[in-house]
Amino acid sequence: MTKFSLKTLKNQAQKDLNSAKNLKALNEIFKEYLGKKGKLTRILRSLEKMPKAKRIKIGKEANQLKNFLEEKMEQKKSSFVKTTEDKKEWIDITAPGKKPLFGHLHSLNLVKRKVEEIFQAMGFSIIEGPEMETEWYNFDALNIPKDHPARDLWDTFYLKTGFLLRTHTSPGQIRFMEKNNPPLRIIVPGRVFRHEATDASHEINFYQIEGLMVDKKISVANFKAIIQEFLQRFFERPVKIRVRPSYFPFTEPSFEVDVTCLNCGGKGCSACQQTGWMEMMGAGMVHPNVFKNSGLVPKNWQGWAFGMGMDRLAMMKYKINDIRLFYSGDLRFLNQF
Amino acid sequence: MVFSYNWLKDYIKGRLPKPAKLVELLTMNSFEISELKKVDSDFILDIDVLPNRAPDCFSHLGIAREIGAICGLVFKGLTSEIKEDKSLKAKDFVKVEVKNKTACPRYTARVITDVKIESSPKWMRERLKVCGLRSINNVVDIANYVMLETGQPLHAFDGEKLQDSKIIVRFAKAGEKIITLDEEKYDLDKDILVIADAKKPIAIAGIKGGKMPEVDKKTKIIVLEAANFNSKIIRRTSKKIDLKTDASWRFEHGIDPNLTEAAINRAAFLIQKLAHPQAGYPKITQGLIDKYPQKVLAKRIKLELDYVEKLLGVKIPESKIVKILKSLEFKVLSSKFGILTVEVPTFRLDINIPEDLIEEIGRIYGYQKIPAIFPITTLIPPKRNLEIFWEDTTKNILKEVGFSEIYNYSFISEEDAKDFGFKSKDLIELENPISLEQRYLRPSLIPNLLKNIQKNQKHFSEMRIFELGRVFKLPKTEKNILTGLITGQAFFQLKGVVDLLLNKLGISEIWYDQYQPTPEMSKISIWHPQKCAEIKVDHQEIGFLGEIKSGILEDLKIEGKIVVFDIDFEKLSKLASEEHEFRPIPRFPAAVRDIAVLVPREIMMEEVLNKIEGAGGSVIRDIDLFDIYEGEELPAGKKNLAFHIIYQAEDRTLSSGEIDEIQNKIIKTLEKDPEWQVRK
Repeated sequence: MTKFSLKTLKNQAQKDLNSAKNLKALNEIFKEYLGKKGKLTRILRSLEKMPKAKRIKIGKEANQLKNFLEEKMEQKKSSFVKTTEDKKEWIDITAPGKKPLFGHLHSLNLVKRKVEEIFQAMGFSIIEGPEMETEWYNFDALNIPKDHPARDLWDTFYLKTGFLLRTHTSPGQIRFMEKNNPPLRIIVPGRVFRHEATDASHEINFYQIEGLMVDKKISVANFKAIIQEFLQRFFERPVKIRVRPSYFPFTEPSFEVDVTCLNCGGKGCSACQQTGWMEMMGAGMVHPNVFKNSGLVPKNWQGWAFGMGMDRLAMMKYKINDIRLFYSGDLRFLNQF
Repeated sequence: MVFSYNWLKDYIKGRLPKPAKLVELLTMNSFEISELKKVDSDFILDIDVLPNRAPDCFSHLGIAREIGAICGLVFKGLTSEIKEDKSLKAKDFVKVEVKNKTACPRYTARVITDVKIESSPKWMRERLKVCGLRSINNVVDIANYVMLETGQPLHAFDGEKLQDSKIIVRFAKAGEKIITLDEEKYDLDKDILVIADAKKPIAIAGIKGGKMPEVDKKTKIIVLEAANFNSKIIRRTSKKIDLKTDASWRFEHGIDPNLTEAAINRAAFLIQKLAHPQAGYPKITQGLIDKYPQKVLAKRIKLELDYVEKLLGVKIPESKIVKILKSLEFKVLSSKFGILTVEVPTFRLDINIPEDLIEEIGRIYGYQKIPAIFPITTLIPPKRNLEIFWEDTTKNILKEVGFSEIYNYSFISEEDAKDFGFKSKDLIELENPISLEQRYLRPSLIPNLLKNIQKNQKHFSEMRIFELGRVFKLPKTEKNILTGLITGQAFFQLKGVVDLLLNKLGISEIWYDQYQPTPEMSKISIWHPQKCAEIKVDHQEIGFLGEIKSGILEDLKIEGKIVVFDIDFEKLSKLASEEHEFRPIPRFPAAVRDIAVLVPREIMMEEVLNKIEGAGGSVIRDIDLFDIYEGEELPAGKKNLAFHIIYQAEDRTLSSGEIDEIQNKIIKTLEKDPEWQVRK
């Protein structure tokens, strides 16, 4: 026997082992190589007839091969045994996963965070203001005089302390401009209140987000760019906006901003009353009186402001049909977010 | 307000756009249209005229003028040539006296004789009907028709029913009463402006006519009134007597005083033309009675063309700007050095400053044509709002440990205030609640959160909820509070949540102090007296943790127990810190020894822990309570506390001898008190 044939034997045995599919085949291989009449057994037996030098050399290699094959076979055997054991085990993978304990953030909070993130990325700071306001900040400073029909646009809860519950986040504009000089870019998110009957689209408290950008020459064109960018990022799809005339005492010119209906993409459907558009926010160029009332010189500054309903954004984003769900405390609703 | 499409055609030269197209054009350039409806051969447009445009656009003429400007069509306006009868003088039929010219800046009257009252022609009845008005008779219908046409409310009196042929505009006297055309009785007072004859009020000025001088079938002489009243007075009166009419609605939005003349002439013209044309025309007596001491003149505004471009963000050629202004009946008096001098027609009460003109230019030019351009501005990094950062962080932590966020109403009812023992001296009361549900602003988030549990308990057996919101207290406190609730006997679970929350907010030095209400407070407290703690950081109390007392849960029909934490969020966010220092992973092994100690029942855990820590010193890495036992096998009044003590040094492997020594020291310290016994 030569070294070469031992090597061939090893290759052959390895090949056989690899192709063995079960315990029975493995036994056959054992017999073939290591059994009483096995190929390797025969070589080992033939050793004693060999010259001493050769005996030592071949003997060493043959024994190594023997150990090697025994080890391989043992590995193979145990893997066959394990496979058989695993086969006996079985789980129903369609059974439900175990729910980890996990809570839920309010959908309006999720919307608020997203709005804040988008505006912060465009350089806007987030400012907050009090929910109890004075007539001055809520109305007079915003160019809404007493005894003026314009005040009827905001149904107001008055408090016995002489304060009122802010009807919009716009007082935030005045409060901020009183203390900060332009150029400025802020958003003011917060809870606002309206004294009106509730239904699927009206609540006595809800959330608004106010936006304000003031500098030397901030224009309507700039407003359109920022708002379009915001809406595209918020709804994560290309949207068109349209700007049409409106009236707010604290902006001049004033406009209403509509966005292409998210439901039908602008073709017209029941959600948008066949118009293809959905009302999104009121906006306009800051009225000179508002600058004046905030202690700024109107002719030095210009800019835009908007007010947008956060509940409405959430309703559009998640297709929620009743604003009252937000304040219902119903976990069957809240736990969906 | 409702408008007739066919009627609008009267004032436009050329062809009006199709109704659907008109809706789109008006929406994009003037006003939103809430409805377009076909009625017989006409279309109804329900136009949401913006409140500042009421003075000129609560009228078919006004809307037609808008359409003319938007579509580039010629607006025709009114034609009313009247023929006065020179043999009859108006002033011989009625004397007008205005007592207060602030309340009534202008009073215009005309007298028409030989009128025959019958029904008005069909076309007029139809137009009124389309606009929602009922036909009465020819004279009243004409007055209404002219109001819908011009925006000027008019009123017709029977000239022969006026006491002493007098019309006096004055404030009512206390005790005066009036019965209106619709047979309603109103008590008047000195703040209510009336039209009176020599004897008594015959109309509530600008709101409703009186029954007495009503035009009826026998009426021969008509006194027509077209007056201008102070908008604030009309608005106040209309609110006070709770009566809104087509007239009051227009007056309270303001009307151009110069409009009365055109309107009254238009009405006289129509009466002459339509009232009884077969048997000789009615006669318009000579002279317009006109009390107008202070004529309102047209305003002038200087408009810089550069500013137009700067504000709109688009360059509109001067010729285009001038054309737009003219189409809206503004006059451009001059154009010098890029500045236009613009005369504003007096019917545009809403136009006072250059920005108002820019709005007119922008909307007629079309906001859609203004391109979207990002602003070029200084880079000022936005300021970080820490309050919001900590709010978000807090909410995230609570969410991660299974809490659902709730937004409740900011109000509580009178009943809740009582049930929860809030005192009215602390509560902010609403002046005008819609219902008793909103009697007060919430002084705490707890009542509404407990109600959430009650409402949800039929669907959920275990609940973890929280809210972060404002609460209110007299005199004018408004602050953010964080409140969390967990169902069941779960004091220690919630305590664990509070610990975790505070740790994650970077707050250490947290401890819990026995809640000790004064006897007076304990009666009204919502907390279980034995299961409530004050949450403290250093020496500052930041909130409470405890079980809600059973009485309150029973009242609210809540099954099982509720544990609540209620934390002043402003204090919390001030204490919170992002600073966090890494602690090296220990290089030397830790050893664990157990210790069990029998102590009197009332001994607090903290005391035991303090003793172990004190005696053990710095090599004690952690002490882990693994069992509290109180039971029959133990001596009465005792409890057994069992701890794992984890020993670990930072600089060496502790030998077992060293640990034994410390452990013995701890045992000795614990047993100093004869009531305490370490179980070996």
